[in-house]
Amino acid sequence: MNTKTTRVITRALLFPTLLLVFAVSASAQAQLTGTVNMSATVSKFVEINSGGAITLTGNSGGGVTTDGVANNPLAAQINLGELGPSNTNSFVTASVPLKLRSNANYVLSMNATVTSSGSTANKIGSADVGFGLGTVTRVGTGVNTAGTDTNATSGDPTLAGNGSVNAVSGRYEYTAANSNLSAFSASTTAMNGARIMNAVPRTNTNGLAVPAIFSVKPQFFEDGSTTVAVTFTVTAP
Amino acid sequence: MLMVCAGTTMSAQTLDISSGGQPTITGALGGSVTGSASVQSDLVVTINFGEVSPANTNSVVKVVVPVAVRSLVPYRVSVSLAGLGNANPQGLQSSDIGFGVANMRAMGNQSQICTQSSHIFYPPFNNDPASTATIAANGRVAYQSSFSNIAGATVILSGPRLQKTPNLTRQQTDGYIFDAIFTITPQYFAAGTTSATLTFTISAGPIVPC
Repeated sequence: MNTKTTRVITRALLFPTLLLVFAVSASAQAQLTGTVNMSATVSKFVEINSGGAITLTGNSGGGVTTDGVANNPLAAQINLGELGPSNTNSFVTASVPLKLRSNANYVLSMNATVTSSGSTANKIGSADVGFGLGTVTRVGTGVNTAGTDTNATSGDPTLAGNGSVNAVSGRYEYTAANSNLSAFSASTTAMNGARIMNAVPRTNTNGLAVPAIFSVKPQFFEDGSTTVAVTFTVTAP
Repeated sequence: MLMVCAGTTMSAQTLDISSGGQPTITGALGGSVTGSASVQSDLVVTINFGEVSPANTNSVVKVVVPVAVRSLVPYRVSVSLAGLGNANPQGLQSSDIGFGVANMRAMGNQSQICTQSSHIFYPPFNNDPASTATIAANGRVAYQSSFSNIAGATVILSGPRLQKTPNLTRQQTDGYIFDAIFTITPQYFAAGTTSATLTFTISAGPIVPC
């Protein structure tokens, strides 16, 4: 092959080769597809709020100092009034509506402290303050009505089956399981259950409603003042 | 060999889809969106909606992804969805992710202005899902259009040619941009993580005059 022929072949090969490179370059600039990758996270969520106004009955004096407001944080304050024998009602009872909401199984725990100014065994103690969770309701649009709940308390502490006068001491005692605050001196489960809400926005105000019922039987307690502090906590284990 | 090369080049330049600008996210708790701000870059966007349980107290998490399209012929844009298979009906479902398209606009002086045909967003996607969300009878948020309206390759947009002249590379002014809008309303979804991929495809569309 002579030199001239070699040059012609070389040029002939070079030209299409350059065009091929050009074509590949142009092709890289055009895309027929584009992608959008998405992810989202849903964490377990639980909340407790007031379920509405508090009901105080059987009291002599006292009253609801800071009432509950539905769907607002629970920060109530109650004055049970006179708890000595001058109060002739059988019980002083405060019913505090609670509202729970969750997207997962929940546990409602409670921790209570009772502090009295008295100095003898006749002062009001934690066992003298009855407690129980009342009827649980799951009603309304967006609520998981098929979910079940387990109430670890004995319900309304004033029910006849939940307490009686001790035949020996004569003191009224709340005898049923988890029916007084001595059972809640440490954080203790009061109720648990299945997820409460279906997939609805938080603006939906429905939820699980349950009253927390506190009671004291007026008796010949040692005179003085008593403070009861109760904290509810809901978690999603 | 020369003819094959030329054919390949023409085909690749006829239709193109790319980023239409910087994606944005609002209402997110721990979320983010990443994507190129350049209209000359490929469309590769990653959205993290973040927390969409009620812990996110914003009314909606909204992401706007600008998408640029270029063509020398009538075109159509379709979308296809992969992922999202939550067996729990209370988990995040395809119907819980609002999806719409809106706001078609020319990129610049190299964009083709056609007077005889319009660029058409196909219903039900022709909306901003953040504006058309409603509460269904069961209390869950419903959208005019969502990922549940995507079945296979679903056409969302078509129209006449988009650019005046062929260009070897993407220009900043030679096509159109529309907004792809994604929304999730935080709700009491069942806990978990969800992921999905939406693919936009541009292809030759119905023959329409310019």
